[in-house]
Amino acid sequence: MNRALPEMLHCLNGPATSTDMTVLERQRARMKWQPQEQQGYFGGSDQFAGLFLEPGQVGSFQGLLGGESVLGEVLTRSVKPDPGLENGWPELLNMGFTEFDMNCAISRTSSCPPTVAPPPPEAKGKVSPPAEKVSSAVGRESFKKRKADKLQNTKVVAEDDSKDKRSKVCAEEGESKITEQTSNKDNNRETSADTSKENSKASEAQKPDYIHVRARRGQATDSHSLAERVRREKISERMKYLQDLVPGCNKITGKAGMLDEIINYVQSLQRQVEFLSMKLAAVNPRLDFNIEDLFAKELLLYQQMFPACSTGFPTIGMSSEMTNPAYLQFNPAQQVVACCGLDMGMNNTADMGLRRTISTPASIPETYLDSSCFTQLQPSSTWDADVQNLFNLEFHQGRSISFPSQPFTGSIEASNLKMEL
Amino acid sequence: MRSSSSLKQEFLKKWIMGLQRCTSSNKNMSILERKKAIKLSADLAMAAARNGRTSWSRAVIANAARESDKRLLAEKILQGQESEMLLKKVSNMSAVIRNRRIIRSKKILKRSRRRTTSEPQKVLASSIAKRLVQKRTHILKSLVPGGEFMDEISLIEETLDYIAYLRAQVDVMRCIATSPHLMALNSE
Repeated sequence: MNRALPEMLHCLNGPATSTDMTVLERQRARMKWQPQEQQGYFGGSDQFAGLFLEPGQVGSFQGLLGGESVLGEVLTRSVKPDPGLENGWPELLNMGFTEFDMNCAISRTSSCPPTVAPPPPEAKGKVSPPAEKVSSAVGRESFKKRKADKLQNTKVVAEDDSKDKRSKVCAEEGESKITEQTSNKDNNRETSADTSKENSKASEAQKPDYIHVRARRGQATDSHSLAERVRREKISERMKYLQDLVPGCNKITGKAGMLDEIINYVQSLQRQVEFLSMKLAAVNPRLDFNIEDLFAKELLLYQQMFPACSTGFPTIGMSSEMTNPAYLQFNPAQQVVACCGLDMGMNNTADMGLRRTISTPASIPETYLDSSCFTQLQPSSTWDADVQNLFNLEFHQGRSISFPSQPFTGSIEASNLKMEL
Repeated sequence: MRSSSSLKQEFLKKWIMGLQRCTSSNKNMSILERKKAIKLSADLAMAAARNGRTSWSRAVIANAARESDKRLLAEKILQGQESEMLLKKVSNMSAVIRNRRIIRSKKILKRSRRRTTSEPQKVLASSIAKRLVQKRTHILKSLVPGGEFMDEISLIEETLDYIAYLRAQVDVMRCIATSPHLMALNSE
C-alpha cells in the first residue's frame, strides 16, 4: 500500500492521462494483493497528516518548494512505520520525480485535490484533472499557504479512494496465480527487485488459499512442473506428519523406506485388531458383553489407569478406605441406570437412548454420593473453594472416563455436582 | 482432531451398542462367527465414530454393506438415522467410484501406450526408485480401506487418520481383552 502512495503522486504528476490510467490499473492490481499493508499505510498516513500539519514542517516545505530532498525526506519519514519498504521509497520517489520539473510536480499535487474531492471515488475521474492543472501552475505562490492542508487532503482522498477500490476489488478476489505474476511483473518494471519480493511475500501471507511457488535457478517454470512441485511438497509435508505418527519412522530417509514402515505399522495394527477380536470371541463364550461387566471392567481399568484420583482423595482429608466404598456404592446405581438407558436405546433409536442415558444417571448417583461421602465431608473445615474445585474436577474426570457409554454427561453431571456441593 | 480419549469413548460406546444389537438377534454363534461379529462391529464403530467424514470410514461401511452376509450385520450394528445417512452416502460414493474406476483405467491405458512408444527403454536409478515407491504406494492403497480410489496426497492424509483410529481401536480392544475382571469372570 505504501508503494501505492508514490504512485499516486506519480500519477497525479504524470503528463499524459493515458499512462496514468495504466498506473492506476496497476496500482489497483497491487492493492488486491496487499490489503494487509493497509494498516501500515493508514498508520503511516496519520503520521503523514501530522507531518504536514506541523507548522515547522510546513514552513520548511514551503520555503524549499521544489526541493526534492525535503519532500523526499518528509515522505520517507512518513513511511517509516513500514520498515520493509523503506528501501523502495527513495527509488520510487526518484522515479516519480526526476522525470518532471520538481516545482511543477508539487504544484500540481497541491492543486488537484479540490477537483478530485467532489467526484465519486472513481479512479478515472481522478486521473484526468492533473493534466488540466498543469496550466494553473501560475497561481502557485498564492497556494503556498494552503499547500499543507491540500496535500493532506490529497492523502485523505487517496486513502478513501483506495478504500473504496479495495472494497470493490475484494469482490473479485480469488483470481489465479497468473494475475499475481503479471502484477508482479509490473512491479518489477516499476520498483526494484527487493520490493517486488516483499510484495509477493505479503500477498502470500495474505492469501493462504493458493500456494506461491518460486522456481529456483534452473528449475522449470511451466505450469505442469510447478504443479508437480507443489504436489510433491504437499506429499512430503504429509509424510512428515506420518513420520511423527508412526513409531520408528523418524530415522528413515527416503520415501520408499518410509512407506515400508507405514505399511508395516498399518498391517501390524490391523493384525492386532484381528487378534484381539479373536481373543475376545474366544474369551466370551456367548458374546454377551453385558453392560455391567463392561462397566465393572472399565472401573477397574480406570482405577488402574488413573491412580491420581485415589491419591487425590486423601489430600482432601478422606481416608482411601472411605473413597473406594463410595465409588463402589454409586457404581451399581450408575450401571443399572446406564443399562436402562441402553435398553431403551435398543428399542428406540440410538439417539433417544443416548439422551436418556445422559439425563437419567445424573440424579441417582448423587444421592449416593451425598449419603456416602459428601455428608461426611461437608462439615469439615478444610473444604475451601480450591479443594472443592479439585475434587469436582477429578470426580468429573473419573466419571467421564469410567463410563464411556455416556461421554456427554460429563459437564452436566459436573454442574449438578457443583450445585449439590 | 479430537483428543484420543474422547475418540476412544465414542468408539467404545458405538462398539458396545453394535455388539448388543448383534447378540440380541443371534445367541448361538460359533467362535469364528463371534470373531467376525466382533471385528465387524469394531470396524463399523470406528467408522461411525468418524461420522463418515473421511473416505476410509465411508469405504469401511461401504465394504460392509456390499457383502451380503455382512450387510445384515452391518445394518444391525448401524441402526438409527445416522447410519442410514451413512449408508446412503456410501452407496452414492460407490457409484461414483465405479465410474471413476473406468475413467482412470482408460487414462492409464493411454499413458502406458504413450510411454512405450515415445520413450526408449532405459533403466535409471531414479526410475527404479520411482517404481519402488509406486509399488509401496500400491500396497498401502490396498491396506487403507477405500485407498484404491485416492490420489497420493489424500492417501497419505487418510492413512494418517486411519492410523490414529486404528490405534484407538487397538487400545480399547486390548484394554477390554486384557481386563483382569473379564478373565476372572470367564474363568469362573
